Order: sequence, then C-alpha cells, then structure tokens
Amino acid sequence: MSILSIRDLTKSFGTQQVLRGVSLDVHPREIKVLMGSSGCGKSTLLRCINRLVDPTSGSIFLNDQDVALVGTDLRWLRQQIGFVFQQFALFRHLTALDNVTLALRKIRGMSRVEAEQKAMLELAKFDMADHAGKYPSELSGGQKQRVAIARVLAMDPKILLMDEPTSALDPVKSREVSHLLTRLNEEGVTIICVTHDLTLAASLSNNITFLHEGIIHAQDSVQALAQCTDDPIIHRFFGRD
Amino acid sequence: MNAWLTFSQDLIAQMPLIWLGLANTLLLASVISVTGLLLGIFVLYLSVSRNQWVRRATKAYISFFIGMPLIVLLFLMYYGAPQFGINISPFFVAVIGFTLNVAAYNAAYMTTAYNGLDPTELEAARAQGFSEVQVFRLITLPQVLRTSIPALTNQVISNIKDSSIAFLIQYTEFFARVQELASSNFQFFKAYLFAALVYLFLVSIVVLAARVVQKRLGLSRDG
Repeated sequence: MSILSIRDLTKSFGTQQVLRGVSLDVHPREIKVLMGSSGCGKSTLLRCINRLVDPTSGSIFLNDQDVALVGTDLRWLRQQIGFVFQQFALFRHLTALDNVTLALRKIRGMSRVEAEQKAMLELAKFDMADHAGKYPSELSGGQKQRVAIARVLAMDPKILLMDEPTSALDPVKSREVSHLLTRLNEEGVTIICVTHDLTLAASLSNNITFLHEGIIHAQDSVQALAQCTDDPIIHRFFGRD
Repeated sequence: MNAWLTFSQDLIAQMPLIWLGLANTLLLASVISVTGLLLGIFVLYLSVSRNQWVRRATKAYISFFIGMPLIVLLFLMYYGAPQFGINISPFFVAVIGFTLNVAAYNAAYMTTAYNGLDPTELEAARAQGFSEVQVFRLITLPQVLRTSIPALTNQVISNIKDSSIAFLIQYTEFFARVQELASSNFQFFKAYLFAALVYLFLVSIVVLAARVVQKRLGLSRDG
C-alpha cells in the first residue's frame, strides 16, 4: 500500500512541457531518490507534490485522497508533506528557534511555550539546541541544513521532500546529511530526495528513479545504472570514462 | 546687537503662537508618517500580488503620485475641489495629499527592499502551509521594513520639512507662524535662521531615534 501514488502527472509552463506523464509509488518508510540531469523535471515534480506549483494534469494520491484536485486544502496538505529546500531557505530575520516555532504557532495554533518546547526537542535531535538563539547568518551550511530539517519535522509531516540536500555542502557535511536521512528513515520518516550526488543516492536507496525530459527513464540501483553502457542517456549521466 | 535683542523680544512675545504652530507641524508630520507608511505597506502588498492587473494598477499609482508635485495635489484638493462643492479643512487636505504622496515613495522604497529578498524564503513559507497574507505579514514585511529603515527614516525627515508647504493651503503650522513673526518685524534672516535651527533639531531627533531602532534590530546580523 503506497503512502503516495502519482499517476500520469504532467506539468507545462507555457509551451514548455516539463513533466510528461510521471507515475510513481512511494511506500511508507521508503526513501525514494530522484535523479536526472538539470531541467529533467525532478524539482518540478517535488513542487507539484506539495502543490507549490499546480500540475497540468494527472493525479497525486496521498493515501487515497487526490491532492492534485482543485479545492484541496493546501494548508492541510503542506502539513502532511514537508519540504526542505536546496538553499535551506531559513527566515533570515528569525533565530533558529523562531524558525522552528513560527509554523507551530501560526499554523498549528500552539502557544509560544508549547511551540518552544517542541522546537527545542526537534533542534536537540539534530544537535542544534545550543544554537537555538542564533540567526541563520551565524550558522554554518550544515547547521542551517539541520535547522531547516528540524523546522519541517516539527510539523510531524507524513512525507519529507528534500531538494538537493547536499548541493550547498562540503563532502564531510554531505556524509553527515546521508547519515541524518538514514537515521530519520529508520525512525519512520518517508523521504523523497532529489539529488545529483551519486554517493548520497547510493547510500540512501538501492532503487534510484532516473528522470529524463519529464518522464521516468529508468529505475535501478546506482551501481547498475553506472554500469549501463547501452543507454546513451544513462551512460552520459552515470558513466565514468 | 539691538536687532537680536528686538528679535528675541518679538520671538518671546510670539512664542505661544509659535508653539501652536510647532505642535501643528509635529501633528501633521506624525500623522502623515504613520498613514503614509500604512498605505505604503498596503500598496507594497498589492504590488507583489500574483494578479498582474493589480500589480500594474499599483505601479501606475506609484508613478502618478511620485510624478505629481505635491503642491499641485494640495491645491487641487484645497482650491479646486470647492468648485464641485467639496470643502475639506486644510488639515485633512494636507493629510490626504501627503499620505497619497508619501505612500507612493514608501512603497517604492519597500519594493526595492522586497526585490532583494530571497524568493526561496517565501516559497519555503508557502511550503509550510502559510497563507499568502501570513507570508507577507510574517516573512516579507519584517524583512522589508528592516532593510528599508534608512529610506523610511529619510522619508520621515522629508515629512517634517515638507510639511511647511501646508501653510500655502492655510494650515497654520510652524513655518506659517515664523512667516508671521518675520513679517511683523521684517527680521527675515533671523526668523528663517531660527526656523532652520528648529527643523534641524527635529530632524536630529528623528535621526537619533532611527539609529537606536537600527541598533536594536541588529541590522548587522543579515550577513
């Protein structure tokens, strides 16, 4: 039974068709890794899933509810599906603690005290409790990443979407992200992760979904895809000459 | 020396009226600073709307009121409107005219600050479930206001100085009282020098207050 089921999803921006009929199932506690060259539609797919952009056609079933339909309660949907952005996108004018508490107070309706207690628990999970009073400009890239994840997980989403989580980090921090996502997954979080990072992809999943020009081109392990020589598209992306 | 003594005596004699004028100046400058900021924020909100017609209308508003000399707007309302049976007091003409003008400038300053925001912050807020109004109120506006403090401070300074033109529509503010003082004893240089020093004092208070606000907000943490 899938937690998320995408059927024939298309998305066009004007005359440019970015997604051309994507169908995908994500199971509870799975880490789904999406790869593909720039412009293949993987980030657009993530944005369609939590409706930051509206799909042109197709369905997105969260459990059994089609959340691609017009009239879907977006506030509810976005509490079910958290989104961590490539550049972390922390609110610059708020401390790490306030970044985490803001949605708890303004969307979940918690009191400040309740929200701060929950936020501190989340920050502590990511070793960020000591930095709760710092502003984003006072945090390193890895620390910002952890606050961004804590901010999303504080809302108890069913699914975590991650867009290029290691693109702004050095190799050491990238390995930390890999361990972090694996740990979260072991704790029961379902993750859909878009990445260009082969090492990260290989460490997260044995079944990579490879997109090309808006459709799913292949699904296999990183090792299998890297050894594929008869498909020029896959070979160009994964191949090591 | 005698001339200064005479001027001082006239100044002291006229002081009750000058105080009243100063109070009117401060009242007008305060009101238009607040109303101009609030309307400016509303115009900014409309100018970042997803509806292109709303955006175009707000751009037209900003261009129109920045392009139109304030004195023309005030004269239109004070001397022109009565021809259509509309009579508004000098104070309210000044408040309406200045508010429309100041809001256009404030909206332009804040739009510049808005353009410097990281759009992914706004997208991240939407992705968390915040409504468009909440994104504006909780994420956009606090950052835009902080970034715009120097420009908004300059606008408050302009409001204090420019309020002097309200005397041309019979609003007896500080400069109008100084005019009366000058024309009563023909000590124009001394009277206008006195006016300049008072305006300088008022502006200095605004500048100091703005510095305190900037320091408290810790603008350095933007880094």
